[in-house]
Amino acid sequence: MEKIKQNPLVKKVGFNRVVLCCVLILMYVLFCIASPNFVGLPRILSALNYAYFLGFLSLGVTFVIATGGIDFSIGPVMFCSALVSGYCLTSYGMPVGVSLIISIAVGLLFGIFNGYLVAYWSVPPFIVSMASMNIAKGVASVFTKTQSVSWPQGASDQGWFRKLVKIGNIPVGLFIFIAVAIICAMILNKTKAGRYILSLGSNKEAVRLSGVDVKKWEMLAYVICGILVGIAAIFFVGAYTTVQPGYGDQYNNEAIAGCVMGGTSMAGGLASIAGTVIGVFIIALLQEGILALGFTKDYQLIITGIIVIVAVYADVVARRRKN
Amino acid sequence: MGEVILTMKDIDKSFPGVHALDHVSFEVQKGEVHALMGENGAGKSTLMKVLTGIYTKDSGSIIFEGKEVEFHNAREAQDAGVVIVHQELNMLGHLTVAQNIFIGREFKKGIKIDDKKMNEEAKKLFDKLNIDIDPTETMSNLTVGKQQMCEIAKAISHDAKVIVFDEPSAALTEAEIQELFKIINDLRKQNLGIVYISHRMDEIKVITDRVTVMRDGTYVGTLITKDCTKDDIINMMVGRVIYEDPKSKSMVAPDAPVVLKVEHLNAGKMVQDVSFELRKGEILGFSGLMGAGRTETARAIFGADPKQSGKIYVNGKEVTINSPEDAVKCGIGYLSEDRKRYGIVVQKTVAENSTMAFLENFVKGLFIDKKAEKDIAQKYVDSLATKTPSVDQLVVNLSGGNQQKVVIAKWLVRDCDILIFDEPTRGIDVGAKNEIYKLMNKLAEEGKSIIMISSEMTEILRMSDRIVVMCEGKKTGEIGIEEAKQETIMNMATREIK
Repeated sequence: MEKIKQNPLVKKVGFNRVVLCCVLILMYVLFCIASPNFVGLPRILSALNYAYFLGFLSLGVTFVIATGGIDFSIGPVMFCSALVSGYCLTSYGMPVGVSLIISIAVGLLFGIFNGYLVAYWSVPPFIVSMASMNIAKGVASVFTKTQSVSWPQGASDQGWFRKLVKIGNIPVGLFIFIAVAIICAMILNKTKAGRYILSLGSNKEAVRLSGVDVKKWEMLAYVICGILVGIAAIFFVGAYTTVQPGYGDQYNNEAIAGCVMGGTSMAGGLASIAGTVIGVFIIALLQEGILALGFTKDYQLIITGIIVIVAVYADVVARRRKN
Repeated sequence: MGEVILTMKDIDKSFPGVHALDHVSFEVQKGEVHALMGENGAGKSTLMKVLTGIYTKDSGSIIFEGKEVEFHNAREAQDAGVVIVHQELNMLGHLTVAQNIFIGREFKKGIKIDDKKMNEEAKKLFDKLNIDIDPTETMSNLTVGKQQMCEIAKAISHDAKVIVFDEPSAALTEAEIQELFKIINDLRKQNLGIVYISHRMDEIKVITDRVTVMRDGTYVGTLITKDCTKDDIINMMVGRVIYEDPKSKSMVAPDAPVVLKVEHLNAGKMVQDVSFELRKGEILGFSGLMGAGRTETARAIFGADPKQSGKIYVNGKEVTINSPEDAVKCGIGYLSEDRKRYGIVVQKTVAENSTMAFLENFVKGLFIDKKAEKDIAQKYVDSLATKTPSVDQLVVNLSGGNQQKVVIAKWLVRDCDILIFDEPTRGIDVGAKNEIYKLMNKLAEEGKSIIMISSEMTEILRMSDRIVVMCEGKKTGEIGIEEAKQETIMNMATREIK
């Protein structure tokens, strides 16, 4: 075990990430053994569909958690984005391109709202995001007059946006997701913004007393999260077509689970984008596997709930041991 | 005065790196008010914490009412009749007075709390003490003075035989202090033993019967209050042998320009009308007792806390400082007394902490130039002789002295010309202390200007070119190093302000 930990490659990637990769592969093998129809491309593509939108949510919330905050509004805001933009498309006849931009804009607005309240008004992130979760649901319902919205099918003139998810059997979405993840990793690890976001998550007062405008950078984390939530909405409708108002909460847990499992500390200051990506794949695979084994979606809620608790507890234990 | 109720004999207590109590002895008689005095860090609070079981003593004995005792926590001490009234009040603001007094031992009627009975009992207590407070009043509605009375009442309600007052008058008004003294006199008549910790010389003369003075963790002596003068006590408090020679004269050129000028600064209760000047290449010592408002002054200048009024001039130009960001732009750097909380980001590396205040200078295009960052960090690791395996080491793994050097590096990277060192050597061992001193002298020689807040008299005398003394939020004196003596400074630091 120690030997593996000391291996230079493992050290570079991070032991935690190596373990997660093994878990991911092991899970896939187990599902294939348990259910023969799990083998093959269709299941993988289906799991990937789930991984895209969840992945963007998870990437977004990674920035927020890095500041030591939390965002419980990501799922409902994603639905709000999809509904508002979809309604503009279907009922107001706006072009697809404009609708996609609206989708991102809605996410961005919520990000600005959450970030401003948390950073400048010092309202606890928990409260802010709980409130904006309800606001997002309400706005979506009012805007769509409580109608569900169906985005155009791939075959129609307006269906080109689905090519963002896949063309034939080529998982375009995977490439986009990985590319965005790499950008996120660069922001977090190589830019001033990322440095300050992580540092203030670790010790906000020390950063402030270094003459840094901590409020601005804290807010930025929520804004980045908002943009990614808007992108998540695009990939949600690109894969699943129909969105109903009043939902979206369940994805909060799954996105946070993916993020925390990947080694981002709920206490702030420590975050890993690579970990988040693997964590998201695990959650997506799990959801696909559970359905394939013939269980209902409800079991998945139970399992992700447990995963969040275990992952956060592991983080708490790890930190206690360090101290 | 009567028989001895409490004796502490040969109490010894060490913390890692500090001999906090060196065979200290202390006694209290029934019906006496016994003052415990000494500078910050003399060991008064440690001694009282040993008494009440908050700290465990290494050796020595405590004899209470003729029997040797050892309390393991404050609760045990309380049950035996030894109670401490803390400087910071431990009251729950949203509960009533009576609920606070009986917290943890509420009267019950079945499973319900019997508020009526508690109110009656509290009333009885207050009557006994001649205090006029309504037991049903919500605690947060009372003044600090009244809250303190409640704290005393709570102590009495434990059937206290010895009460320790830890700087009880610090937050009180003149009238409230008079009332406090009346109560203490009553308690004295009831034959309780009272320990009174205070820095206020005049109060000591008024209220106490004897004075025990401590210095550097040792027992210096005990005097009968009415037979001694204020100067006697001060001499005992400061009369230590100074190992390091004090600076003999100012190192600042007589024509050195003023780099920082503060005029009539007001910020809350702790900073009242503070004015001073800092010159190029000068180390300006800020002396005073704990809670004199020195840190608050520094934080107000640095923009860490809001200020109500006052003008700040940097290099002759008036500047507006509303945030640390503004201060840093003016070239002011602040090194907090609490490094872990306010100085460093422990989960970040030496290099990352070094550039924290000036990261924009290390950004190339979109990204941080990590090579340049490491180079500059390495430069300061070398020049400050910071002991670290590499600049990639997390600061959490460094010792206190080396963490301090990383904070210094942070401000040097930013090229700040005015540095505020708040207790620069607190929690740092002797060897590292000397290094920090050398470093500060070197910085001053290079033309940096330093404000050094310190509660250690030796440090003040050794390092400062000039000394500003504060007491209770006001500047009470300013003195050049040539004329500075411990006694004069202590006099200024304890000057009663009317």
